[in-house]
Amino acid sequence: MPNSPSPTGNAERNAILKLEGVCVALAASRKTMVRNISFSVRPGEIFGLAGESGSGKTLLMRTIFGLHDDAFVEKGRMTFKNTEFSSSEHRRRVRKLLGREIGFVPQDPFSSLNPTMRIGRQIREALYLGKGISPKSAEAGKTTLELLKEVGISEPATAVGQYPDQFSGGMRQRIVIAIALSQEPSILVADEPTTALDAYTQRRIINLIIERSRNRNLAVILISHNLELLRKNVDRIAVMYGGQLFNILASDEIGSSASHPYTEALFKCIPRKDMNLADIQSIPGEPLSAGYGAAGCAFSSRCGLRRDICDTSEIPVNASLEQEFDACLVRAGRRP
Amino acid sequence: MPGQSGSATMNELAEPLLQVKGLSKSFAKRYLVHQSKFSLQNISLELYDGEVVGILGESGSGKSTLANIITRLTPFGEGQIFYRGKEIRSHSASERFEYKSEVQIVFQDPYGSLNPRSTIRNSIKEGLRLHQPQLSRPEMDERVDGLLSSVGLASENSNKYPHEFSGGQRQRIAIARAIAVQPTLLICDEPLSSLDVSIQAQIIELFASLIEEFRLTMLFISHDINVVRLLCDRVYVMSDGRIVEFGKTSEILNNPGNDYTIKLIDSVY
Amino acid sequence: MLVLAVIGPYVAPFDPLAIDFRNRLAEPSLTHILGTDGSGRDVLSRILYGAKLTILSTVTVIATVLVFGCILGIFSAFVGGTVDNFLMRIADVWLGFPPLILALGFAAALGSSLEAAIMALIFSWWPTYARLSRMITVDILSKKFVASANALGVSTFRKVTHYVLPNAFDVLIIQVTLDISAVMLAISGLSFIGVGAQVPAPEWGAMIAEGRSFTSKGWWIVTFPGLAIFITAMSFNLIGDMLRRELDPTLITRQ
Repeated sequence: MPNSPSPTGNAERNAILKLEGVCVALAASRKTMVRNISFSVRPGEIFGLAGESGSGKTLLMRTIFGLHDDAFVEKGRMTFKNTEFSSSEHRRRVRKLLGREIGFVPQDPFSSLNPTMRIGRQIREALYLGKGISPKSAEAGKTTLELLKEVGISEPATAVGQYPDQFSGGMRQRIVIAIALSQEPSILVADEPTTALDAYTQRRIINLIIERSRNRNLAVILISHNLELLRKNVDRIAVMYGGQLFNILASDEIGSSASHPYTEALFKCIPRKDMNLADIQSIPGEPLSAGYGAAGCAFSSRCGLRRDICDTSEIPVNASLEQEFDACLVRAGRRP
Repeated sequence: MPGQSGSATMNELAEPLLQVKGLSKSFAKRYLVHQSKFSLQNISLELYDGEVVGILGESGSGKSTLANIITRLTPFGEGQIFYRGKEIRSHSASERFEYKSEVQIVFQDPYGSLNPRSTIRNSIKEGLRLHQPQLSRPEMDERVDGLLSSVGLASENSNKYPHEFSGGQRQRIAIARAIAVQPTLLICDEPLSSLDVSIQAQIIELFASLIEEFRLTMLFISHDINVVRLLCDRVYVMSDGRIVEFGKTSEILNNPGNDYTIKLIDSVY
Repeated sequence: MLVLAVIGPYVAPFDPLAIDFRNRLAEPSLTHILGTDGSGRDVLSRILYGAKLTILSTVTVIATVLVFGCILGIFSAFVGGTVDNFLMRIADVWLGFPPLILALGFAAALGSSLEAAIMALIFSWWPTYARLSRMITVDILSKKFVASANALGVSTFRKVTHYVLPNAFDVLIIQVTLDISAVMLAISGLSFIGVGAQVPAPEWGAMIAEGRSFTSKGWWIVTFPGLAIFITAMSFNLIGDMLRRELDPTLITRQ
């Protein structure tokens, strides 16, 4: 589909996923929860989406990929692999791609596998649904073993005959990833894939996702509340707060002038190896939930840089899909 | 003050406040398929007055069970626990009651640890009613107001019910409830892990100020190495129901000797 | 409805037991607003008198099983272990008894009367409440706020009154409102097979049973007592719902 000429660079033209001014509202109350989200993800890019609970990050992702029955895309446009999804009919159309083009790794590995079906059969079933490989064929068996090997299951031949509850949380998450990869998707969305797991397993699962992404040129959207985890693993990070997109920046730029005051504040909250008790700086107040509905910047009441403009003006929107973006009203005034 | 060296070594000459010796507890395996072990094996640890001691371990390592045993919520099998030199199983009823005001616990889940049908003022008062019955009503109310301000909450809120508070606020209330009876030892069982990042930082700051304000001895149970590093003077590393390594926090975390500790430290961002 | 049960006998236009064969099966009219039954008794008066009888016996049954069942269930949950198992097995076995058979037994022993029916229902209904309250209590006792109370050394009695009962309240009230209509129907049913309220007594169930044979000639005889049962059951449901809403602090919203 031809793109209208825009001032953005080539990167935007071949982006695998573009969100332009996407607003998400709840189906029941018609309340707008997430406002004016615009960003793009390049093929093969590992993109982090950071935010605390209530920031709307999960709601946004689940809604645009048609996984949320209680919310819908109210406004805006999503372009996935040059196919445009307007807000009407969004869910129905995107669901056809779900699983095949879009892989999803949910938070909880314990409920995402069928407990009464052997692992091998679950993968073969996925292969059949996605690629039409007959579940009984030798090809299906071979691919299943290859996939399990790829996600680091040490004895795939034994694993195929086992049930999910015979695996630990980490192993199950690997199997979930194997099922997602079996469809050869072009984007993998991982929603806090490791919060249910312990630190060691968490690290290995993240590493696995990153490594698979690099090998297969697979774009990944990694959703996490842990800015430090994202900073160490992803290429770019988008930071959300109270249903607004505050910041998009390269992960090594956290703490630099490119970061929004909230990004900076959030980063100072996370205890890191090199920190003393005095270095921890909490953000006063309570995080605002998405959908609060007032004008201005959602963070203003907790922000040290607050000016009058923060409560009166709408925050900037990344309309031109810049690679980097800062929605701070105060800083915008200071920038050239 | 946590983080400062010296105080712990000085105290080692004195009698420990709490001493756990050779504690073991095993649970019957309930599931055929699950191989998970929830047992404690030969746990020994000491806590000295004024110390903040961390217990570091992954979920399933048995650290919560240990917390429940020390607070006498769960019985244990073999071993002994001495509090100020006295074995807690030999306590008389009144000593046992006394012990319950000396040792208090803050749980992980701030949503479940407050009675949903009780105003937070009443929840905090509960311990005062039991352990300081000599206080008059206005004195108790004054105490509650003081506690609320210590944990950073306005006293106007005290007649609300738990569901009207956010997770972080509830954890503050749970902490106020625990320190209301002026315990000597506060056990915190993963008090941060169900909170948001920015709220975690607030609670870390709160703990730091409370340790100073109330001269608390604290057993801080966590899976988060970086939080333990910030708050704890000494640390015990637990894995599969055993203590695999212990010592000063800075020494253990900078030069871990045990394979498990190394693995744990390596996996932290 | 309760008001009706109390004042019913005073506003009733006729004696509910007065038989008037000249006026049997009279259609609803100005004198007999809801008509008369097969023996010429005024249906409205009978319903009004019956309100007291029906509601009183229902409330007696429910209140007794609620108190008795909860005491047993909560006790069982607190003690746990073998005692718990033993009590609950008894409750299970008891639940297996059909209430009608039990009622027949009672009728044989005590003679057929409304009292016998009430006793029979109490005896067959308590296990439901024992099991339910035990289940809720076990659930509440596993909550962390009870652990916090234990860590403080809160007494068992206080745990029951301040922790278990307030938190069990809404489940119990739902069960009660559901059971009120069931008990009411059960009493009526028992009256119908002849072990409950005896024929001339203006019990709603008995009235329906009696009026059944006249359905084709006098629809009002069964319809109005049935309607009374329906309205009463529904108003109890509404009262229960209202109580729950009023007393549940988690439904309070401020600001």
